[in-house]
Amino acid sequence: MSKLVISDLSINRAELPVVSSVDMAVESGAISVVLGANGAGKTTLLEGLSGIIPVAGGTIAIDEAEIQKARPGARSRAGLAHVEQGRTVFRQLTTEENLKVSLHPSADIAEAYALFPELVQRRAVKASLLSGGEQQMLVIARALLTRPKVLLIDEMSAGLAPVIVSRLMTAVRKLADGGLAVLLVEQFAALALSIGNRAYVMRRGRVVHDGDCAGLLKAPDELHRLYLGG
Amino acid sequence: MNALLTSAVAGLTAGGTYALLGVCAVFTYRLVAVVNFAGAAIGTAGTFVLIALYEAGFPIWPSVLAGIAAGTAVGVAVGYIMTRWFSEAGASTKAAVTVALLVGLIAVGLRLTGGQHPHNMPELFPGSAFRLAGVEVTIASVLTIGLAALFTVLSDLFLNRTKVGLNLRALADRPMAAELLGIRVQLLSLLVWGMTGAFTTFALMIIAPQRSPNFMTLSLLVVPALAAALVGLFRSFWRTLAGGIALGVVEGLASSVDSISQYRSAIPFLVVLAVLLWSQREARWDEAR
Repeated sequence: MSKLVISDLSINRAELPVVSSVDMAVESGAISVVLGANGAGKTTLLEGLSGIIPVAGGTIAIDEAEIQKARPGARSRAGLAHVEQGRTVFRQLTTEENLKVSLHPSADIAEAYALFPELVQRRAVKASLLSGGEQQMLVIARALLTRPKVLLIDEMSAGLAPVIVSRLMTAVRKLADGGLAVLLVEQFAALALSIGNRAYVMRRGRVVHDGDCAGLLKAPDELHRLYLGG
Repeated sequence: MNALLTSAVAGLTAGGTYALLGVCAVFTYRLVAVVNFAGAAIGTAGTFVLIALYEAGFPIWPSVLAGIAAGTAVGVAVGYIMTRWFSEAGASTKAAVTVALLVGLIAVGLRLTGGQHPHNMPELFPGSAFRLAGVEVTIASVLTIGLAALFTVLSDLFLNRTKVGLNLRALADRPMAAELLGIRVQLLSLLVWGMTGAFTTFALMIIAPQRSPNFMTLSLLVVPALAAALVGLFRSFWRTLAGGIALGVVEGLASSVDSISQYRSAIPFLVVLAVLLWSQREARWDEAR
């Protein structure tokens, strides 16, 4: 059982506070969904967790080992994988080469193809030539091959057709069921809540709601109020 | 005719060095996204370690190894500065930093090596390798071109056939995405800087006896090196190799024509200008229309 615990976390951008006093927890086998309007601090939160930007205060721990001062590579080796917004494939490498880059000694590329069989036919194609959906599958599969304990996913649905988004959500649920702890930042609230276990809503850098996904899914008016405040 | 051929062949040693320095510049640019103006100065530092040890009476080949080790160390030190403080900077900022480092290395180098004071640079590979159309081709020429070709082939093989090469290509494409996958970005970057430092040092050791071996002259060989890299548009190792050799041959030919021989050092600038104009031709044509 792995667990990511975030305590009293604050993150600044250009010395301005963007995320303040955030407490969250994600356990293996579960998906925690982070919702919020644009500018709520969701992407900044994930970037602070993975080390892309430094944290201003608080702690981040995987299985009780604090990682908030480590470089991004060290956090990855500690078991944290971050699927960034914008489908960050290595454009000049083929699909298979992208997967080989992240291949952990105990992992097998076949696991990636088992999760997304669509990629098998595209294994020799340059990643820049893949469709948006295929690129998103590739970056999720690539993260999986680092053998993470915790998977952070940022806006994987952006710019994709609903059928592809649904396909990706199913795959992410499957990963969680396999034992991963998933922290999912998403704009498509209904879809994310339908696969998630715990929901956090952020507004102006703070967590304004912490509850189970099923409850929030049944109360769209409440979700709307949490997004906008008041 | 024979005089022209002799001059062209004489330019091969310089051409091989320009090619190797140029290929190193492309290697650095492709993998760590830095146009490195300090490349030749790094090699010069290593070369002067060889000169200092040789002048102090140490045997030549251990001194060569010590010089290559020193060039590698200076390359790693420059790489450390670039990766530690400027990894997130834009390409132009990084290039400007290497210009500053070039100026700094030249200043320190001239101070430590006695300025323009002449030095006794040993010729590592004296003599003739073979005759080409009645002209002696020196071992130094064959070696510099061979070394440049070897570095080109090895670079291709290394990048396309090894796991470290694959990681370097990923790093060159998206440094942060690579780091997020646990790739040891700083270590790999230092490896690139160290490798190019070692090859650059050895190339300069071969060519130094034919140049005025002072710190400034050798460090400024970066100009023809970058001209060669520009011929390869900072992407193609093989075009850079050909560009460097061609540049050396043209310089050699120019030295045999009295009326232009004194301007031959301007040839790399003319090549830079020509390549830039050629590469911008479509934009200029669109503008004109």
